[in-house]
Amino acid sequence: MVVHEVLSESEAKKVSAEYNTPIDKFPKILQSDPQVIKIGAKPRQLIKIHREDPTGKYSAYRYVVESV
Amino acid sequence: MQAEIIDNIRFTTLSPEAIKRMSVAKLIVPDTYNEDGYPIDGGLVDQRLGVIDPGLKCKTCGGRAKTCMGHFGHIELVRPIIHPEFTKIIYLLLQSTCEKCHRILLDENQMAVAKEAIETFVTSDEIDVDRVAETNGKLAALTKKLKSVKKCPSCGAAQQKLKFERPTFFYLNGNKLKPDEIKDWLSNISNDDLKLLGIDYKATRPEWFILTSLLVPPINVRPSITLETGERSEDDLTHKLVEIMRINQRLEQDIDAGAPQIIIDDLWELLQYHVTTYFDNETPGVPVARHRSTRPLKTLAQRLKGKEGRLRYNLSGKRVNFSARTVISADSSLTVNQVGVPMRIAENMTVPLYVTKWNIEKAKVYVSNSSYPKAINVITREGSRKRVNDTNQEDLLKEIVPGYVIERQLVNNDIVLFNRQPTLHRLSIMAHRVKVLPGKTLRLHVSAAFPYNADFDGDEMNLHVPQTLESQAEARYLMQPKYQVLSPRNGNPLLYIEEDEIAGMYLLTKDNSYYTKEETMSMLANLGIYEMPKAEKNGMYSGKSIFSMTLPKGLNFESKNKHGKVIIKDGLLEEGIIDNKLVGEKGGVLISHIFVEYGPDFNEKFLLNIAKLSLGAAYIYGLTVSVKDYYLSSKIISERTNIIKSYEGKASDLINSYKAGKLESLPGYTKKSTLEVLLYATLSQARDTAVQYLNKELNQSNNAYLLASIGARGNILNMVQMSMFLGQQSVRGKRPTRGYNGRMLPYFKKNTKDPKSKGFVTSSFFEGLTPMDMYQHAMGSRDSQMTKSLVTAVSGYMYRRLINAMMDFYVDSDLSVKDANGELIQTLYGGDGIDPTLEAVAHQKE
Repeated sequence: MVVHEVLSESEAKKVSAEYNTPIDKFPKILQSDPQVIKIGAKPRQLIKIHREDPTGKYSAYRYVVESV
Repeated sequence: MQAEIIDNIRFTTLSPEAIKRMSVAKLIVPDTYNEDGYPIDGGLVDQRLGVIDPGLKCKTCGGRAKTCMGHFGHIELVRPIIHPEFTKIIYLLLQSTCEKCHRILLDENQMAVAKEAIETFVTSDEIDVDRVAETNGKLAALTKKLKSVKKCPSCGAAQQKLKFERPTFFYLNGNKLKPDEIKDWLSNISNDDLKLLGIDYKATRPEWFILTSLLVPPINVRPSITLETGERSEDDLTHKLVEIMRINQRLEQDIDAGAPQIIIDDLWELLQYHVTTYFDNETPGVPVARHRSTRPLKTLAQRLKGKEGRLRYNLSGKRVNFSARTVISADSSLTVNQVGVPMRIAENMTVPLYVTKWNIEKAKVYVSNSSYPKAINVITREGSRKRVNDTNQEDLLKEIVPGYVIERQLVNNDIVLFNRQPTLHRLSIMAHRVKVLPGKTLRLHVSAAFPYNADFDGDEMNLHVPQTLESQAEARYLMQPKYQVLSPRNGNPLLYIEEDEIAGMYLLTKDNSYYTKEETMSMLANLGIYEMPKAEKNGMYSGKSIFSMTLPKGLNFESKNKHGKVIIKDGLLEEGIIDNKLVGEKGGVLISHIFVEYGPDFNEKFLLNIAKLSLGAAYIYGLTVSVKDYYLSSKIISERTNIIKSYEGKASDLINSYKAGKLESLPGYTKKSTLEVLLYATLSQARDTAVQYLNKELNQSNNAYLLASIGARGNILNMVQMSMFLGQQSVRGKRPTRGYNGRMLPYFKKNTKDPKSKGFVTSSFFEGLTPMDMYQHAMGSRDSQMTKSLVTAVSGYMYRRLINAMMDFYVDSDLSVKDANGELIQTLYGGDGIDPTLEAVAHQKE
């Protein structure tokens, strides 16, 4: 099961520093995405996606936007 | 340099006043030149609009043809005309406002809602997401209602049915609305209402969508051409404008003369048609305006649109200087890094030489030369360019000081870019070193043709000469083939030897291959190697030891190929045969090893040496292929009969078991289709059996078989098709069936499952095909041709889309992938941070 999680502002800042990229330059996800609605993330927040596959555990990040 | 970031661009409409302000001339005569060939004042080529003929002066700015950029003029339209590109907005505005009082069709409450919504969008800098979404919803609800309002909330007037008909007709309750009525309606809409409708009234008033004066572009935009006969040919736009003016004038005369309303309306409509086609001659629902020769006129929209339009043809892609193009041919004495340039091209292309105190003597030599490596231009410190000729040569020689630039002809070892279309990957443009040669073709090494996907059957390629030191350095250090040996796709070498070179390499390095002293010397001297390998006891030289002369001293390398082990110890090939897997298309492991261990420069030489050496060996062997290699011996003929009989037997077994109802159906297939599938699969194996037989029967004394078996050219299947039989043909992955009713050709019995009637071709290319076989084979050939061309078109288009989508991606220093806007594409390149270029080598080392 893929778990989505809203990052707090300070956490988002940390991730942004880790990848040396402003958070609005991360890959985008729509506000209307079912998982975004489920965890209640708002536009201009960064969400963390915990993934697991045969290569191991890793996380992806998505920047929530209102529309394309 | 930091690029300026464009915050926004605003497009607005021109007001009639703005048009008059821009205009330098009111045009009144619907013609161009008078009988004397002199421009008519107030005509469409009025000299106030600019000049294009050399020698004439612009009457507005006094500039000459080169300095005057042209000036706009205007035409006063006697009756207003709807601008065809704004009909949609006009329709929207007419729908949203009252036909009597011209107020927006909203009551006070709704108006307040809309006002607030607009404020939310326009004023707030920090956008409240929830509020924007909410107001968006409210606005959408209002917009929906607007169209169906029956009674004006402001004045109470009943709203009649409004209809829009393409291209430019509006009807209110079935009565035509004339442009002047629409203009009045639109000018009566208040600024406050416009704001609610999302129109910035400061930039655009809606009545400007109805034209009262038409802007006429300068003649520089629509230049006339003088034909050889001395006849003038005007631009399409000028033609169109002449027609507009002509109708405009007639309309004016008729109105003044008090002509009946119908005639005036007809002319008015005609004027509308001409203006519509002037803007876009492909407007739907409008007949295309044509030239006298029935060619459709190219008007404003046609100039910009599409592949041949201004944007894609002139802005996204441009013609360039310092480039050359001609047919390519092969030259095995050039290295992969070189390109042979014909003298004709070298003489015509220039490279800037920046004069310094260190190269000033060299620069002066170019200027003083009167033939080939000479200077064409001298550019002073101030940047003025002087062409070198016999008269000023002496003066220029004295004048030259550091800081000058000399444009000299292309010489050996200049760096140039070489390109073949379609430019599908980065290796389609590489940097080569110039070698000026006699002849008329561009020449490249055979091995360098592969990355370009070039062959020499008439292919042409382009050459570009970089003009700055930066671009030359970039080309030299990043783009030369010698640095591009390993494929970015899988890490295998892209530069390797092929075909007869592979054959020669096999003949040279196979066991028991010995050469006389003379042969050895001639082969090695061709590479510029003047030492001899160690001789055998009988005074002969082994091919393996000759090959070893191309290897670096101290090279230790082991590999395996289909001939067995390959062992190289201290630069000597001790065991094994050099083949495709080591130096060819099947991996080229020796090449990638040498590239990684000994560097690009040694590798460049190595590639050249093995190519030359193997061709030498093939030459000594006398490698040739003839029809006799495919000769049908009685042995082969009888074996062919056996194979065909055995497969026909297998097929009839299948058919019998089907008829007896014993055939088990495959999952998802009916019994009948199972039979078809099994028959096709079984009969297709006949060729494989024949391949196995030929492998047993033939040996390397047959040159065609030799080439096929070592992977130099062709395969055994080709031999089977020539000497034995063609085998089962396929159409859409099945046995061919279609044609006549129940059979492919009238020759066959109806509804039979007989292999021979369903594409099992038993004759060979050598003996010739029977008419039936020919038809069956043609069906299969056509099918594969169609599939092939379809696949290339589809995958080519996909390639283009991928390139356009990904062209600005780059791998950042932290191995993340970003695009030109800084958007993060991947956090780690490829998900694993591995560069495939060196992948194969890394595994080889393990």
